[in-house]
Amino acid sequence: MLPSGVYFESFDREGRYLRTKPQIACFVGLLVLLAGFPFLSNDYLLGIASMMYITMIAVFGLQITVGMAGQINLGQSAFVGIGAYVAAALSGSAGLPFWMTIPAAGLAAGSASILFGLPAVRVKGFYLALTTIAAQVIFPIVVIRLPVAWFGGPNGLAMEPAHIFGRTLGSPMEMYYLCLAVLLVLGTFAFNLQRSRVGRAFRALRDNDIVPGVLGINPFRYKILAFFGGAFFGGISGALYAYFVRYVTTDQFTLWLSVWYIGMLIVGGLHSPLGAILGTLFITGVQETIHHVGTLLLASHSGISGGIVFASTNVVLGGAIIITLIFEPYGLAHRWNLIKAAYRIWPYSHN
Amino acid sequence: MIRARAMKRFGRVLLLLAAAVAASLAIGVDARAETVYNFSVSVDYTGPYAAVMDSWHGGQVAMVDWWNKTRGKELGVRVNLKTYDMRYNPSVVAQNWPSILSGDKPILHLGMGAPDLISLMKRLPEDKVPMIMGTAMVGTVWVPNGWHFSSRPTYSHEFAGLFEYLAGKLPEKRPLRIGTVSTQGVSGYVDIVNGVVKLAKMYPDRFQVVESVWVDIQPINITNEIRRIAKEKPDVILTANNTAQVIATVKALKELGMKVPVVTSSHNGLNEVAKAVPLEDLEGSYSVFAFAPYMDKGVKQAADIFNKYNTSKGTWGTTAAQNASQAILSLRTLERAISKVGAANVTGQAMYDALMAGEFPESGFLGLLPALRFSKDAPFPTGDIKVKAITVRNGKIVSLSDKWLPVPKLDKW
Repeated sequence: MLPSGVYFESFDREGRYLRTKPQIACFVGLLVLLAGFPFLSNDYLLGIASMMYITMIAVFGLQITVGMAGQINLGQSAFVGIGAYVAAALSGSAGLPFWMTIPAAGLAAGSASILFGLPAVRVKGFYLALTTIAAQVIFPIVVIRLPVAWFGGPNGLAMEPAHIFGRTLGSPMEMYYLCLAVLLVLGTFAFNLQRSRVGRAFRALRDNDIVPGVLGINPFRYKILAFFGGAFFGGISGALYAYFVRYVTTDQFTLWLSVWYIGMLIVGGLHSPLGAILGTLFITGVQETIHHVGTLLLASHSGISGGIVFASTNVVLGGAIIITLIFEPYGLAHRWNLIKAAYRIWPYSHN
Repeated sequence: MIRARAMKRFGRVLLLLAAAVAASLAIGVDARAETVYNFSVSVDYTGPYAAVMDSWHGGQVAMVDWWNKTRGKELGVRVNLKTYDMRYNPSVVAQNWPSILSGDKPILHLGMGAPDLISLMKRLPEDKVPMIMGTAMVGTVWVPNGWHFSSRPTYSHEFAGLFEYLAGKLPEKRPLRIGTVSTQGVSGYVDIVNGVVKLAKMYPDRFQVVESVWVDIQPINITNEIRRIAKEKPDVILTANNTAQVIATVKALKELGMKVPVVTSSHNGLNEVAKAVPLEDLEGSYSVFAFAPYMDKGVKQAADIFNKYNTSKGTWGTTAAQNASQAILSLRTLERAISKVGAANVTGQAMYDALMAGEFPESGFLGLLPALRFSKDAPFPTGDIKVKAITVRNGKIVSLSDKWLPVPKLDKW
């Protein structure tokens, strides 16, 4: 909804994400803030931000598969793991630079996802959830059993930091900019995908299983494509994770992590890429705050044991998610849109 | 008269001033003489190991505080422990490490477990900061030229030491029959079994892995799996992963009416299992590790130090002994580094060089560790590796032997 007096004379202008000068100014301001963040923070905060961007990319992917196309995926962490392993293997044994290993990791994860996306043509809901959990279960077993020369077997793979033009991207600031750059590219892609022909087909599939076929949308093709797209993002997230942590083992990519990705998306809002951003921001923020408070409590010699603090952090985090969903079942992105609409027509009420 | 009194008062004030200046100078000299070095420490106060962290970190802090007040004072050096809650998460370790490096400039990092190894293994040689672990190693991190070390070899080495001892006690000449319980898909867990399989391959006349079963990480009931092992008549069942698996194994054995000793490590050891299972069900079972058990007569001095200097709620036990031994190795390394480069010049490189500079005698470890010699070949002591074990005898957890048990040579698997 736009305020009275704001109108566009062409479809092209109306269709843009950034339609007015204040919107463009805000967006540029955000970019400047993100680019300037390393100069305003410390190494620890940069680490948190980098990890958050990496997670955000994986959740963007999940938004494509689950939110946009309506295909449940509980194995996103396995696809993140595949990406991490492929990036580590290609950068190690093949010595490829990061600008080749990162897309390759995405493609590898996307290709692997086709296998688990195939059942989506015939099953949905809980049944589809089971096949994606299978991806999660199979991933570590297969990776450990593959020849050691490929992915290190149970040893995992160590990797060097990314290099560009002979410069090592090893410092927290360099890693931050690498993650931010990839996030901006993929974020732009995710936001635009939902308004493309493919995105509309995904949404049609999400809303109804039969009608898209009648409309000339090939459900088989688009369901596979939805899995491929989501896992592609997951693979790229995994590659960045591998460059961030610099060692890859199967233990790092658990079902628990997949559940967190889903949790972030649900809290943020399933139906918009903005949900992936807000959900990841919210959960990371709550996690870090709770952890910080827990550490302060322990340091205050209040007599509370570490075990209780750990249990409490999980309870508080779970509680925060429940409360958010009770008050905003459509996710934070929905609330954001309401706030935006209310602001635009202020001082009139928005109903 | 008044003048004389005033002069006297003035003299007293002067005297007091002189004394104050002298005292402050003395303190100043003392403070200047003391060099402070930072050891960064990974802990897990808000992650899965939070429940044991008081004893864990308590063991480290007590040793360091004791050293600062005794040996450190003599050397003019104080060790400052900079503690970081890493939540047992490699991402958090990776997030924290750059700020630890730039902020604390540690000369040594006291690692906690797999997350530290995963995130720091590749960085430490570049950052020139060695890391000493308290936990045992796994084959996955057995690489040469690393800057990550542990006083303990791999878990498989530790089990090999106990198996060697048990094989020697068999009434007839045959290999010790070993059954294993583990979980697929977790690289560290699979690695332990692979190490034991390698041991059996290297010494087929002494060890035989009769059956390996794979169960859930947190199993509820594994009676069927244990039945499969039981058919092969094992002498021992190795359950190395976690406490839940040991409890499930013990319960399954009870259900099957069998008495087979279960072999565990320090992290899933008898003390932990005994919280959920009566000790009579654990009769004859073992925990084995490459440091001295907390109830050993030889570690009395270490126990006394812990009890005197511990300020946490932790208690002296396996966890505290493990981390006290980690701390004492780190402090002996610092002493050696000081003797090489001087009290004011210790760096991460000097600590690494000190670790590599020959054998650390057993006498320096307060009975907690055997003699240790590190090399560039492995992240754990090479040469004569020794372990100790505890067992349940007559319903009590006791040391298996006062002597260290030798570990047979075990090649990389």
